[in-house]
Amino acid sequence: MSSVALARADEREFNPWPAVIFVGLVVLAVLFLAPTIGVLLSSLKTTKEISLGELWSLPHSLYLDNYVKILSDPAVHTYLINTALVAAPATAASIALGILAGYVFSKLPFPGSDLLFLAIVSGMFFPPQVILIPLFRLFNGLGLIDTLWPMIFVHTAMGIPICTLLMRNFFATVPSALREAAILEGANEWQVITKVALPLSLPAVAVLATLQFTWIWNDFLWPLIFTHSDAMRTIMLGLVFLKGQYSVAWGVQGALSLVASLPTLLVFLFFQRYFIKGMTMGAVKG
Amino acid sequence: MTGLSLKGIHKSFGTVETIKGIDLDIQEGEFVVFVGPSGCGKSTLLRMISGLESVTRGTIAIGERDVTSVAPAKRGIAMVFQSYALFPHMTVAENISFGLRLGGVDKAEVDRKVAEVAETLQITQLLDRRPKQLSGGQRQRVAIGRAIIRNPDVFLFDEPLSNLDAALRVQMRLEIARLYQRFGATMVYVTHDQVEAMTLADRIVVLNEGRIEQVGSPIDLYNAPENQFVAQFIGSPCMNFFSANVEHIDGERCLSFGRETVSIGQDISVREGDAVSMGVRPEHLSLDADARKLFEGEVDVVERLGNETIAYLRVPVSSEPVAVRVPASREPRPGDRVTVGLAEGQVHLFEPAGACLGRVPA
Amino acid sequence: MERHTRFWQCALLALPLLVFGVLVVWPLLSSFYYSFTNWNGFNPHYQFVGFGNFARIFTDHLFANAIINTAIWMAAAIIVPTCLGLGLALLIDSRVPGGAIFKSIFYLPICLSAVVVGQIWVWIYQPDWGLLNTAMSAVTGQPESYAWLAKPDTALYAVIIAWSWQQTGLAMVIFLAGLTAIPHDLLEVCELEGTKFRQRVWHVILPLLRPATVVVVALSVINSLKGFDILYIMTGGGPFHSSDTLAMHMYNESFKKYHMGYGSAISVVLFLIALSIIFIYFRQLKKVDEIYE
Repeated sequence: MSSVALARADEREFNPWPAVIFVGLVVLAVLFLAPTIGVLLSSLKTTKEISLGELWSLPHSLYLDNYVKILSDPAVHTYLINTALVAAPATAASIALGILAGYVFSKLPFPGSDLLFLAIVSGMFFPPQVILIPLFRLFNGLGLIDTLWPMIFVHTAMGIPICTLLMRNFFATVPSALREAAILEGANEWQVITKVALPLSLPAVAVLATLQFTWIWNDFLWPLIFTHSDAMRTIMLGLVFLKGQYSVAWGVQGALSLVASLPTLLVFLFFQRYFIKGMTMGAVKG
Repeated sequence: MTGLSLKGIHKSFGTVETIKGIDLDIQEGEFVVFVGPSGCGKSTLLRMISGLESVTRGTIAIGERDVTSVAPAKRGIAMVFQSYALFPHMTVAENISFGLRLGGVDKAEVDRKVAEVAETLQITQLLDRRPKQLSGGQRQRVAIGRAIIRNPDVFLFDEPLSNLDAALRVQMRLEIARLYQRFGATMVYVTHDQVEAMTLADRIVVLNEGRIEQVGSPIDLYNAPENQFVAQFIGSPCMNFFSANVEHIDGERCLSFGRETVSIGQDISVREGDAVSMGVRPEHLSLDADARKLFEGEVDVVERLGNETIAYLRVPVSSEPVAVRVPASREPRPGDRVTVGLAEGQVHLFEPAGACLGRVPA
Repeated sequence: MERHTRFWQCALLALPLLVFGVLVVWPLLSSFYYSFTNWNGFNPHYQFVGFGNFARIFTDHLFANAIINTAIWMAAAIIVPTCLGLGLALLIDSRVPGGAIFKSIFYLPICLSAVVVGQIWVWIYQPDWGLLNTAMSAVTGQPESYAWLAKPDTALYAVIIAWSWQQTGLAMVIFLAGLTAIPHDLLEVCELEGTKFRQRVWHVILPLLRPATVVVVALSVINSLKGFDILYIMTGGGPFHSSDTLAMHMYNESFKKYHMGYGSAISVVLFLIALSIIFIYFRQLKKVDEIYE
C-alpha cells in the first residue's frame, strides 16, 4: 500500500491528484534528464552547430565524427585501460577484505569488536583530504608516484569500511546454526567462509561490486595526486586534461564525457537494484 | 562401551552461572531426554556435550575418552539442530555428504554412503533437490541423514520437533523412535515438551535452573517424583497440591484433607505441626458418588478432549483451580456444584520447600 | 574450541586491519604530526613549529573565506537534497504509472563521475549557449548572458546546485526505502480514521521517516564536506577564491604552494568537523533506535 494512497477516491468524484502528480513528475523528470540529454545531443553535433547556439536542439544529422575522434585517440585508450587496471583489482581486493572482516565481526565477535567495527565503518565518513599528504609522502618515498599502484592500494583501503559494513550486516542474516552445523561436520572457519557463507552472500557481493566499481572508476582525487605523466592518467583525469586540448571542441568533449561514463552507466542500467540495495542497506542500518 | 559421562559440569557466562554442577552417566545405547522449563540450561548442556559451548569446570567423557577440550568434529557426535541447519545452496545429497567431502573421502565411497543413508530414510528421490523445495518432515530427515552418515557414537537432538505443526510432530516423533530402534545408538534429546520426553525416553533428566531435579524412567518420574518441581512438571494436566498441617488423631499422625483424613505411615519423618504439601493427580480425584468424599466445589471450566474430560473446579481448600479427570460419559457443566472425592491412587507428600517425603496409598 | 576461535579471529582480521591501518589510520595520525611542522613536501629537513600553523589559521583570511563557504555548502546540503529527495520519494511512492522509470531518471546522476557532472553543468551555465541562459531568454524574451560561474557572487551557489542534482537521487532512494518500511497497518488505520493527506504526512509519515531522515542529512553533510572533484572542475575555487571550500583551500596550500605543514593543519580542522558530525550522527541514530525499534 502506498503511503500516499490517494487512489481511493469516491468513484463519483473526479480525483485530480494522480494526474497532477504524474504531470509534476514528468516535468521534474525532464528537468533532471535535461543535462544528460544535452550532453548526448551535443556529442552528436559539429562544433559549428554548437557555437551557433544550438547545443540543446536536435541535431540535423547524426554526426558521429566526435565519437570516432575520441575512440581512435590512443591517449583515450590509455586512460580507459589505466582506469580498468585500477578499478578491477581494487574492487576485488576491497570486497575480499570486507568479507574477511565482516565475517569476524558478525560470526566471531569478541569483547571490543563492536567498537573496532564502528571505528572501521566511520572511515567511510572522513574527507580523504585528511590522509592526502602522508600518503603522498609514503608513495613518493617508495618511488611509486606516477604508477598505478598507489591508486590500487588506496582504493582498496578506502573501500574496506563500506565492504565490511555491508558484509557484516549481510552475514548477520545468515543463521549461526549453519556455521555450527558445518563446524560439527569438521569444517574450520576458512571452510565455513568458502563453502557456506560466501556462496550464500553472492547478492551482497554483487551490490558491493557495483558500488565499488562505480566509485573507483569515477574517482578523480587520487589520480590527481598520484600521477602526473599522461601515460598513467585515468579517464576522469584525462577528461579534465583533454579539456585543454579540445578547448572549444564541445562536441568532442561531450562524446568523451559519455564514453568515460559508459561503463558505470551500463552497470547502473543493468544492476540498478543492486545499487539501490547497496545505498539503503548500508545507510538504513547506519 | 560408548556411553556418555558428565562429571561436575559447571558453566558460567561472565559472572552468571547457568549450569551449577551436573553429574550424569548415560549408558551406551540409551535414549536420554533433557527436559525442563525455558532457561533451565538443557540446551546449554547439550551444546557443551557437542563442543559448541565450552565447559567452565568439570569433564565430559564419551566412551573412555575425555573429550572436554576436544574439537566438536572429533568427538564422535552428530547433532540435529532445531532449525535443521541445512545449507540452502546445496542439494540434499551435498548436504548429507558435507562432512565426508570435507574429510577427503573419495567420490565413489561418498556416493555409496549417501545412497545407503537415503535408502534408510526413504529420501532417495529427493537427493537432487534443494532444502527450499522440501517439506518440514523431509528436511528433518535430511538433517538426520547428515547426522547418520558419519556413524557417530552419540546423537544429539536440539528440540528438533519445535518447528513442526502438531500433526507432523506426532509423525516425526514416531520416526525418531523407529530410528532409535533401528540403530540403537546413544541419543541425547532436548525438549521442553514433556509428552515427547515421556514417549521417547529410556530415562528422563529433569533440569531446573542449571541443576538436575531428578533422573529416572518416565514411569518412575510420573509415579515417584522426588520433589514438588518434578511432580508439577511431569504429567498433564499437572498434579493438584493442597497444604495441610500434621495432626495427631487417635494416636496416629495424619493430615486433614477436606472431610477425610489421610494417615501418614511410619517411615515418613514429620512431626506434629509440620506443614506438608499434598499432591494428588487429577486421575486420583473423582466426582463419582461412591468415592470417599473430600470437599465441595464449583465447576469453573470444562475441557472435553473426546476420550476424556478434565473439569477445573473452584474449591475452598485451595486457591488454585483443582483439576479432576472425569470419564467422558459424565458431563459436568460450568457452574455445577459438585463433591470431589478421592479415588484409588496415591497421595504424594512434600515438604513446603519441595523435597518429597513419601507417598501414601489413597 | 575457544583457542581455535581466537586463532581465526586474528588470522581473518589480520590482512584487512593491516591494510586499513597502514593506508588510513597511520596517515591520519601522520597528518596530525605534520600539522605541527613547516614541511614543504620535498625537503627532508623541516622544523617543528608547535601550534604555529593553527595560529596562522586564525589570521588567514582565505581560511575564513573557505570556512564560510563550507558552512554555506553544508547548510544547503541539509536542506536541498533532503527536501527535494523527500518530495520526489513521496510523489513516486504514490504508485503513479512509470514509477520505476521516474526512479531511474532521478537516480541516474549517481552513477556519473563528479567530473562529468561538473562538466555537464559548466555547459549549462555557459554564458552564450548554456541551457540556463537559453531557457531564461526564451522565457523573458531578452537575451541573457550572465556568466554564472565567473561571477564571485554566484559561483559557489552554481556549484552547489550542480552537486544537489546528483545528491537528490541518493536522498530519494533512501527515503523510498524508509517509506516502504512503514508498516501497512499503520496506514490502514489512517484510512479507517479518514485522515487527509496533509495530516497523514505530518503526523504519521514524517515521524516514522525519522531514521531515514537522519541518514540522509548525515550523508549529505558528509558528502558536502568531501566535495572537491566537482569544485575543481567547475571553478577551481575561483573566481578569486569566491567558491573556495576547506577541501579546496587545503589542496591549494599543500599541492600548489607546497605548504604541506599548513595544509595538514587545515586537514586536521576538516577532520575535527567531520568527527563532530559523525558523533552527532551516531547519537541521533541511537536516539531514533530507542524510539522506533
